[in-house]
Amino acid sequence: MSATAELISADILLATKPPRRRRKFPSLGVVFAFIWLISLTVCTLFAAYIPFIRDYDTQIKVNGKTGRYNLGPGWTAWMGTDASSHDVFARSIHGARITLMIGVLATIMGLVLGTILGVLAGYFGGKVDRVVSIIVDCLLALPALLLALLLVYRMDDLKSVYTWLGWLDRKWEITLTLGILATAPLARIVRAQTMGLREREFVLAARSLGAKGGRVILREILPNLVPAMVTVAITGLGILIAAEGALAFLGLGVERPVTWGKMIIDGRADLKRAWWATVFPATFLFLTVVSFNMLGDRLARRFDIREAAI
Amino acid sequence: MRYALQRFTQFLIVFFLVTFGVMVFMRIGLNKPGDPARTMLGGTVSQELIDSTTAKFHLDSNYFVQYWFWLKGMLTLDFGYSAPNNMAVTTYLKPRVLTTVFLGVYSIFFALVIAVPLAVYQAYKRDRSFDKLSSFATFFFISVPAVVLAPLLKYVFIDWLAWFPRLSSKIYPWDDLVGHFKNFFVPVLVLTIPLAAVWTRLLRADMVQTLQSDFITLASAKGVPPSRVLWGHALRNSVFSLVTSVGFQLGGLVGGALIVEAYFNMKGMGSLLVVAILSSDLFTVQAVSAILVACVVLVNLGVDLSYALIDPRIRHARALS
Repeated sequence: MSATAELISADILLATKPPRRRRKFPSLGVVFAFIWLISLTVCTLFAAYIPFIRDYDTQIKVNGKTGRYNLGPGWTAWMGTDASSHDVFARSIHGARITLMIGVLATIMGLVLGTILGVLAGYFGGKVDRVVSIIVDCLLALPALLLALLLVYRMDDLKSVYTWLGWLDRKWEITLTLGILATAPLARIVRAQTMGLREREFVLAARSLGAKGGRVILREILPNLVPAMVTVAITGLGILIAAEGALAFLGLGVERPVTWGKMIIDGRADLKRAWWATVFPATFLFLTVVSFNMLGDRLARRFDIREAAI
Repeated sequence: MRYALQRFTQFLIVFFLVTFGVMVFMRIGLNKPGDPARTMLGGTVSQELIDSTTAKFHLDSNYFVQYWFWLKGMLTLDFGYSAPNNMAVTTYLKPRVLTTVFLGVYSIFFALVIAVPLAVYQAYKRDRSFDKLSSFATFFFISVPAVVLAPLLKYVFIDWLAWFPRLSSKIYPWDDLVGHFKNFFVPVLVLTIPLAAVWTRLLRADMVQTLQSDFITLASAKGVPPSRVLWGHALRNSVFSLVTSVGFQLGGLVGGALIVEAYFNMKGMGSLLVVAILSSDLFTVQAVSAILVACVVLVNLGVDLSYALIDPRIRHARALS
């Protein structure tokens, strides 16, 4: 008796409940991006403990001898060997470590600097805005890659002049440079978003309650900037990784252990003879950039941020 | 008008700041007297040469004086002296500028030729299979870095299919038109593909939005043929992001040109700059970066001002402010 009553009430309850919206399965691209990035990160971080990844400077011998491009893609070396008979697959994995680290650190630096500049410009307007927009315009006026070349090369020189810069090695130079490059676009977008948020009611409410500028920025504006920042940062990460490859390509990359850009440029002369030494690192670079773009694009659509689609 | 003037002064400030910054940055750390000249000349050179070069280019005075002399030279198209090449920068810059200009103009042109019709058609046939497929393709191509695309296309077109010969030095269209285009095809393709993809996506997104607005419905309702609606009404109202992006992408294009020139051994401005930076060729670096900055700044200024031409609403809004 009571059981049926319960059943009926449960039925009514179920019927009156609004139909649960089914969560849409994320698109194939996003799933792929996640799988690729996660597996790449895991392989990279634990490369030393994973049995099928060789060390980056292990030479593969065929019949007891090393040789230029002595193995094509096959079972022994999945992606063949390069000019000094290193395993291309192992080197690609090891190359990811430096690349990802530089990209992430540079993005964090760009986020911090860009947010400070952008929020100040957007919130206070007027003179501050003029100064910030001149700084941003200056950073954008020189083509990014050129600025990067200039910065990295000169930092190399400065290091030998000023001893207190001794800690700067290539890795940090590139990180700093890319961080500076990432600042300008982030500052622009944060500025635009802040200008929009400044006019909203909740900011006005906080201000009329007597909140000071600093508190309004920290408690009201910054939390609302997070979606835009994350979206742009992820898209930017892809661009930065490509830029790092380009720098390595122009001979200003990290020398040791390896990076993708360096592998691509090293195989250039022998493209016809050993395509694998170029094509596989290029694929790694491409897939990583695609994955970040994919995630960035998805987030931009989710949060409806148009500026991120650069 | 006031707006235009304000933009103009800001761009002027940016130009001076950046060129001055580049100059200072190239010289920081060269503190000992004679250091800049020594770096510039490279290798082991006699003390007299160092002294004479220093005196000639005022390399021992402070940065502002140096900048002043450099600026004065720039105004008379005297870009300075390239020590490693023992030549005036102007003389050996000229053919190189041309190469890069060809690269840039061709790739922007072809990118627009591909992007505009494709985006318009995509927006017209929204969510059909053609749209979905080509959207996927453009997304794919946006993400290809020049570093990846250059070896790939070189392998396919030059090494494997051998449609285009290895690049020779014949580059001017008035020397050999066919050879010129054969030379430029693959490098231009490397630059065009990502550019066209970016612009297609931008324009498609805007077109889709415009096509949903009321005046489009009205236009089609009163019997304007679809092609007029698409190319006349809708396109004109959707080109803003595209125009902005043309200005914005110019810097990226030069960066791409840098890589393409380095990879295909073309003698352009990008490859020149790489060599100049690596050999501390102060005046060449300053000259090339000044040219590039001037281009980027001018194009952006033009883009800003062209909004008013495209859209009367902006013109009036600005006239009021």
